[in-house]
Amino acid sequence: MILLEFIVNTLSLGSLYALLALGLVLVYGILKLVNFAYGEYVMVAGYGLFLGATYLGAPWYVTIVGSLVLAALVSYLTEIAAFRPVRTKSMDAMLVTSFAVSIFLQNAVLLAISPRAKAVTLPAFMTDSVTVAGVTLPVRNILLVVVTAFLLAGLSLLMKRTVLGMAMRAAADKFTTTRLMGVPANLVISAAFVMSGFLAGVASLFWVSRSSSVDPMTGSGPLLIAFIATVMGGMHSTVGAVVGGFAYGLLFNLLSIVLPASMINYRDAFMFVAVILFLLFRPQGIVSRGYVEERVG
Amino acid sequence: MKRGTALLSLAVVASLLVAGCSSGTKTGGGTGGTGADDKIIIGSALCQTGIQAPLDEPALRGAQLAVDELNAKGGILGKKVELIAMDGKSDPVTVGNVAKQLIEQGADAIIAPSDFDFGGPASREAQKAGIVGISPCASSPLYGSAALGDKQFTLSMWNTTMGAATAEYAYNVKGWRSVYVITDDFIDYTKSLSRYFIVRFKELGGKVIFEDTYTQGQADASAQLARIKALKEKPDFIYISSYQPDLALIIRTLRESGVTQPVVGGDSYDDPSLFEALGSKYGSDIIYDTHGFLSDEANPKYSEFAAAYKKKFGSDPDAVWIMPGYDVVMVLAQAMEKAGTTDGAAVAKAMEDMTFDCLTGKLDWAPADKGHEPNKAAALVELVAGKPKFLGWVIPEKIPAP
Repeated sequence: MILLEFIVNTLSLGSLYALLALGLVLVYGILKLVNFAYGEYVMVAGYGLFLGATYLGAPWYVTIVGSLVLAALVSYLTEIAAFRPVRTKSMDAMLVTSFAVSIFLQNAVLLAISPRAKAVTLPAFMTDSVTVAGVTLPVRNILLVVVTAFLLAGLSLLMKRTVLGMAMRAAADKFTTTRLMGVPANLVISAAFVMSGFLAGVASLFWVSRSSSVDPMTGSGPLLIAFIATVMGGMHSTVGAVVGGFAYGLLFNLLSIVLPASMINYRDAFMFVAVILFLLFRPQGIVSRGYVEERVG
Repeated sequence: MKRGTALLSLAVVASLLVAGCSSGTKTGGGTGGTGADDKIIIGSALCQTGIQAPLDEPALRGAQLAVDELNAKGGILGKKVELIAMDGKSDPVTVGNVAKQLIEQGADAIIAPSDFDFGGPASREAQKAGIVGISPCASSPLYGSAALGDKQFTLSMWNTTMGAATAEYAYNVKGWRSVYVITDDFIDYTKSLSRYFIVRFKELGGKVIFEDTYTQGQADASAQLARIKALKEKPDFIYISSYQPDLALIIRTLRESGVTQPVVGGDSYDDPSLFEALGSKYGSDIIYDTHGFLSDEANPKYSEFAAAYKKKFGSDPDAVWIMPGYDVVMVLAQAMEKAGTTDGAAVAKAMEDMTFDCLTGKLDWAPADKGHEPNKAAALVELVAGKPKFLGWVIPEKIPAP
């Protein structure tokens, strides 16, 4: 009974973290940019849900699609408006720009909507529970695993079978050579941002529905998780991100159960120790296969 | 060229910083110099953004309303009242700096954020400057003269009362005998509230099955859930002392996974965003005590207040926290009138001597050597299908020592 609960919880948490990590790595792979504004795409999608469902009262499928489109759009816009102009400058410029974008987006919603948390009304299937073999589980957790499986399969098809996917993989490997082959750099980079935003949007749907509320600081948690997961799994490949996400979910849930209550507040400390150990002994992450370091410019 | 650009951007940043520092919102009064004698300045370091905003931002609206009402009736001591509000940004260091700036601008009293950790720095600056500092809703027993100084007050009941009131209600009225406690180790408020609840509940004869912890910002309550589910002896209810936004997440996590025991807590539950986040589905069997209730049943003066509020802000009061914000300004005004001056020591003395009839109930402070302990009732509230329902005012039979 406890075991079934543990398995489902670990799978769903791992799925959520894998989605988050994947979105971060897609952009990192091509631009070598650690995008600190990534968490804000999750936050923006959360506000999309709030605006659609609570504020406008739109049907749930419109709301969900709308918030996914919004996250992808905001991600794309930040690429055009903020990252593209500094792309040829130093790495530091890019990094600082990502901080600026993050602060800008946080303050934009703070001013435009409210500094206080807003409740998000969700469709019943996101808040209902089912009882399976004597264990009560949120339907959402099961749905999350299924959605993630489909997304990963779809993404893998896209990357392997389509011209865009192949161009993106090639660009992540050797960007200059890819450009010499006639692949437009802007298209590849924009595609990476759109996909990154879309994944953040999907993750946001599940992240936000756990508490049914969204506030301007919602993005900081997912951002940290995405970082840790990518450090564990490996920054250089999408497979690494997914593996890292699931590894993080497993470690997190194991610690939650194994640690005595008096130690539970140090769970994050244990997580960070794991990260430090990874950085010391296996800086390339669990999945070391990947691409060479080369910057776009 | 490059140096020119760098210098230019430096200048832009510098000017932005200056603009940012001096941008306070003013209510009432005119423009004027520092420490002018023709008006009374109340400085607000309340947090309009960040994690404190759900408590502080409504309180500021209440304070603005009170200042308008005072000015319509001729101000305090025949002088116009001016409220200068600067955002404490839910950062203790910023709160302290903001209070310092307000004092430099001539504040005669400081309104500090509604929490010891976030509001304490403002009170410390006020104490240093020899003026009264008062927090609308800081409920830690540290908020008083013992820790902050002889001119520092909180309008709120202390956690000693807040914890004991629900402990007595659970034990005596509901007949619950065992509890599972989850304490967020976020700030002194969350920690001390659980502590006094447990002291009183055990004293009554109740059993604490387990004292669990949580850390604000973890955004995951699966560990607490797993432990509750693994219990052999099920508790009669669960006491959760936490803070928004994670409070909603903890309660939802428990409810979604089939934990149906009643949930009890303190004033941090009194947030419309929590009611909405729980909705009609999970917003039941939740009991908490707070500072008041938005109805005539809780206070006959409510309708009059609500009408004035609606006239100024165009909507009905949306959170209880507006009322303590209104109350702090009115308490300061009455104390200044009685003292006949804005001198910090004289106003503090008046506040100790007087009894106040507030929107949030009757209030009487102990003298400075007793820590400025507030004697105040708690408003008990039950959440039914996502809607708060007033149960009544309670003063615990016995209040634990701070």
